[in-house]
Amino acid sequence: MASKRPQLSLPELYQLKWLLGGMLALISAWTVLYMDVEAWLWLVLISLAAPLVMAWPALILRVPRGVHRLAFPLLVGTFAIDLVLHVREPLSSVIRLTLMLMLYRVITPRRRRDDLQLILLGLFLVVVGGVLSVSILFAAQIVVFTACALGLLLVVTLVDAMEQGLPEEGRTTEAAWMQAGWGRLARRMRECVDWRVAVLGGLLFAGVVGLSALLFMAIPRFEISNGLFLDRMVSRKAKSGFSETVQFGDVVDIQRDTNVALSVDVSDRSQMPALPYWRMLVLDEYSQGGFRMSAALKSNLEAYREQTAQIEGDVLLRANRAVWTFYLEVGTSRFLPLLGGFNQLTFESPQSAGLNHDLRIVSLRQMPAKMLAYRVEGMQFGPTLGSADQMAGSGRQEAMGEGKVPDFLELATLTPADQAQLAAWVREINAPADNPAEFARRASAWLWRTHSYSLQSQLESVPGDPLMRWIASRQPGHCELFAGSFLLLARAAGYPTRVVLGFKGGSWNAHSENLTIRNSDAHAWDEVFDRAANLWVRVDPTPGSVAVGEPVNAAGGEATLARIRDDSWTARFDSLRVFWYRRIVSFDQGSQIALAHTTKKLVERHLREFKQALRQRFEKVKHWLQSPWDVRRVSVWTAAALALGGCFCGWRFYGRGAWLRWRSGLARNGLDPVRREAGRWLRKTAEAGLKTPEEAAVRIDLERLRYGPRQAWPEPLAVFRRAKKTIRQARRRSA
Amino acid sequence: MTTKLIARDAVWHGSASGSPDVRDRTHRWRALLWSILYPRQGQRILPTVPGTLLIAVALGIGMAAYNTSSNILFIALSLLLACLVFSGVLSWLNLRGVAWRLRLVPPLRVGLEQLVSLELRNGKRVLPTYGLWFDFTATGVGPVRRALGGRLDPQTEMRVEWTLRPAKRGLLVVQLVAVGSLFPFGFLRKLIGSELRCEVIVWPAPVEYRRFSADSWRRPGLGGQKTTAGQGGDLLALRAYAQGDSHRLVHWKASARLRRLMVRQFAAEMQTGFSFWVTTSADIWTRPEQFELLCSFAATLAEDYFRAGRLAAVALDDEPSQPVRSVRDLERFLDRLALAAPRAPSSQSYPGGAARRRLNLLTFAPDGARGVLAYVDGIQTAAA
Repeated sequence: MASKRPQLSLPELYQLKWLLGGMLALISAWTVLYMDVEAWLWLVLISLAAPLVMAWPALILRVPRGVHRLAFPLLVGTFAIDLVLHVREPLSSVIRLTLMLMLYRVITPRRRRDDLQLILLGLFLVVVGGVLSVSILFAAQIVVFTACALGLLLVVTLVDAMEQGLPEEGRTTEAAWMQAGWGRLARRMRECVDWRVAVLGGLLFAGVVGLSALLFMAIPRFEISNGLFLDRMVSRKAKSGFSETVQFGDVVDIQRDTNVALSVDVSDRSQMPALPYWRMLVLDEYSQGGFRMSAALKSNLEAYREQTAQIEGDVLLRANRAVWTFYLEVGTSRFLPLLGGFNQLTFESPQSAGLNHDLRIVSLRQMPAKMLAYRVEGMQFGPTLGSADQMAGSGRQEAMGEGKVPDFLELATLTPADQAQLAAWVREINAPADNPAEFARRASAWLWRTHSYSLQSQLESVPGDPLMRWIASRQPGHCELFAGSFLLLARAAGYPTRVVLGFKGGSWNAHSENLTIRNSDAHAWDEVFDRAANLWVRVDPTPGSVAVGEPVNAAGGEATLARIRDDSWTARFDSLRVFWYRRIVSFDQGSQIALAHTTKKLVERHLREFKQALRQRFEKVKHWLQSPWDVRRVSVWTAAALALGGCFCGWRFYGRGAWLRWRSGLARNGLDPVRREAGRWLRKTAEAGLKTPEEAAVRIDLERLRYGPRQAWPEPLAVFRRAKKTIRQARRRSA
Repeated sequence: MTTKLIARDAVWHGSASGSPDVRDRTHRWRALLWSILYPRQGQRILPTVPGTLLIAVALGIGMAAYNTSSNILFIALSLLLACLVFSGVLSWLNLRGVAWRLRLVPPLRVGLEQLVSLELRNGKRVLPTYGLWFDFTATGVGPVRRALGGRLDPQTEMRVEWTLRPAKRGLLVVQLVAVGSLFPFGFLRKLIGSELRCEVIVWPAPVEYRRFSADSWRRPGLGGQKTTAGQGGDLLALRAYAQGDSHRLVHWKASARLRRLMVRQFAAEMQTGFSFWVTTSADIWTRPEQFELLCSFAATLAEDYFRAGRLAAVALDDEPSQPVRSVRDLERFLDRLALAAPRAPSSQSYPGGAARRRLNLLTFAPDGARGVLAYVDGIQTAAA
């Protein structure tokens, strides 16, 4: 029997294969975009070459033969040189080599082996890109890549099968399929593809994705050892300005970026502070035009512990048992945002990290190459930092009071004239002595009198200290200028002061129920040491902030969340990212156990509810049966039962036949339901294998119904009934 | 019918053959489980080079995933495993509902090409079938692979053909050893063992021979004995139908009256009828190639005489002679020649006694070391 639907010829399959291969190369090469590897040249070349040769495949025939001969030595040589030049980043060299190979495969004819190589190269790029970035884009990319790769493999298999069925001389040459147009291929595809098969294929692929999700959750998790080798083979640069040296304007630059910097899950929403200040790093040394971390502080920070999974803080747990889970985006900083001191910090995967107890700062040795997840328990979030009971017995109080405080009073970079000017301004502020909080309030108010807040601040490039010039001017300024000015004033007044960088506030994502902190929330503020209380007090001299302490009547917890609630479309997209971090990236053995428990509970609950519902129904029926049966009730129910039985029998013996007859009268073009039904019963009789003469007679009657003229039909319903009985008998006999 | 198709040639084989054993295997979960644990003979699933590579990549990613507890690697691993499962499901769907049967139309002759066809049927309602191949073997011929080049649409049939040239006479066994597929992604080579076989008798090859003058041949009308009735112009009688009688000889009126088939029996006319007597004694035919020539020569002569309507009876060794009335009788004789082998010397002094009593008895004898001579009543009549 001839095939009704046309099928793609061998040249058309070759065209399709070429198209899929090019798409695959493009998809996988674009992984470099979020890998932060210097491979732009190869990426651009592939992005240009692949569409070109996809559109005009005959171009590849123009590639000189010498290229093929020289390809291997050229690739090896380039890779060797690249490796020598970037000896500390071998992975970058390998990625560039992969891209080079991919480019070569894109612009040369591909056989089966080459297609497989292309798939492997692409898989390598996609997986490495995913591992290095932990980006949600990886999920989308690997799904598209898999679809393309499976499509390519399918076409390769079909090509092989078709070539096997052809004689040697009937096989397609390269030049033959390259001449065909893409429009014709599209038309042929439309003609050849059965939409039902296409839909089924799509559903099956969705099934693959679903199955892989199930496998992902079900694969047993246990760690043989820890430490990801890939992220150590590539170095990262900080995209933000949160580093040990900050120039004026750096924080403002960060503020202009609205990307998410940090997502935070809070286990107990009532613990949410009214206005969170996410501390990241402390700068103590002022020089013209910026702040930096002094050598003393830096040396204290550099006591890293290698590959540690946990850092113990010095805050007692007490009632503050909320667990904060942080997801720090790539390129934000190597200093971890925290609200204050903590009891315990746990990394998702071991890191080389160090804690400075005095500054309450946790820093990593290197900028994380991918999203960093960490969990903090017992975290403080008040306006003050450090207290007598926390510091007791640690022996660091003395160190801070005696050894480090002078550092926070340093004004050596200012000229004597500037220092005198500062002293004059301090006198103008007129704050009582040894009361840092009051000084902070008055100094902030003093600054606000002459300066408003603005991200656009123009400092004239004339000789002299820029900060001193800004204080003297009436120009608006940003948080760095206010924080820096306050630091100078406070130090001049004799209060140890430091600048703190981090984020302020955030928004509550109503969809994923987490805090989202964007780069635009970047902020700079100060901390002043209160000798009397032995505390560092947060001071925010930027206009619009409460200079010292918490806002008046500020309620934390749910009230704060309601105030900063965000249910916009952006929040909706961000919730996807958080879902990715929470459920996919942070999925571990604990999550697996929790999932199993949840599933078990769910099943048990539904079973319980089902049993309860059954029991209730049963009780209802029992109660109904036990209620007194009087004559009226009996007669009503008997009549109802008889009516129901009558309806059933009527339908069975007359109704269905009448319906079939009626439908049969309406039927046109072989759609007669009686004939269709007879065909169905004929198939069943053939399967049952009827043998006796009676059974054969049934079959003859069915054939009359199926093929015979309508006038010669026996009663259809009776025949079907007999067929059913006969088939049942035949099956019983064979069993 | 001279060809014996032992393997129920008209029966469909495969997953959609509808045979009860297949239904039992697929429709009962226990049977299905056992068939997975202990596959049927010849049923194998082997990884191909890309499949091995995929498994190696999956192992590598799995090890890296456990080593680093990176969920990205676990995602890649689970996707690879899901692809393997997907491949298995598609492969199963591809083979599901496909049935095949072997068609081999006799006669087959040594050295002549013959078409072996495998009919394929896709019983599925929606899904087509792709990329199947079929491994055949035949006696004296090496393994042959034929592929289903295109697409086998649902509810359609297709034919895969193989041109076979038998190398020697005798029983030829054509077997479909396995049905294989790399569909869909070429990761796994799935082979389904097949017991479908077909036994066909290959007649000896036709040979060229030289004929001598036939002056001395005697005609039965000249007082000779006539044992074969039914070949001639005059109606002799009516007799019951015997197997091999031509349907043209059926006397329909008489058959209707007597309620059984009756055929017209004609008297023998003035026509020369020859009786073939082939002796296969190893004493006479000491050289195998000479024996092969004998078989080919006898078969060629028998066909030529039959075409000329002059073949009356045939006999092999000491067996009673068989009258040749129809093509079927001739084919039976050719079958016998195809299967003939040098026979150990018989104790009987005059084998084929009944045949020897005939007139125009055509016998064969070696001619030197290589040739074969044919004699009619002892007179040399042809040589090969």
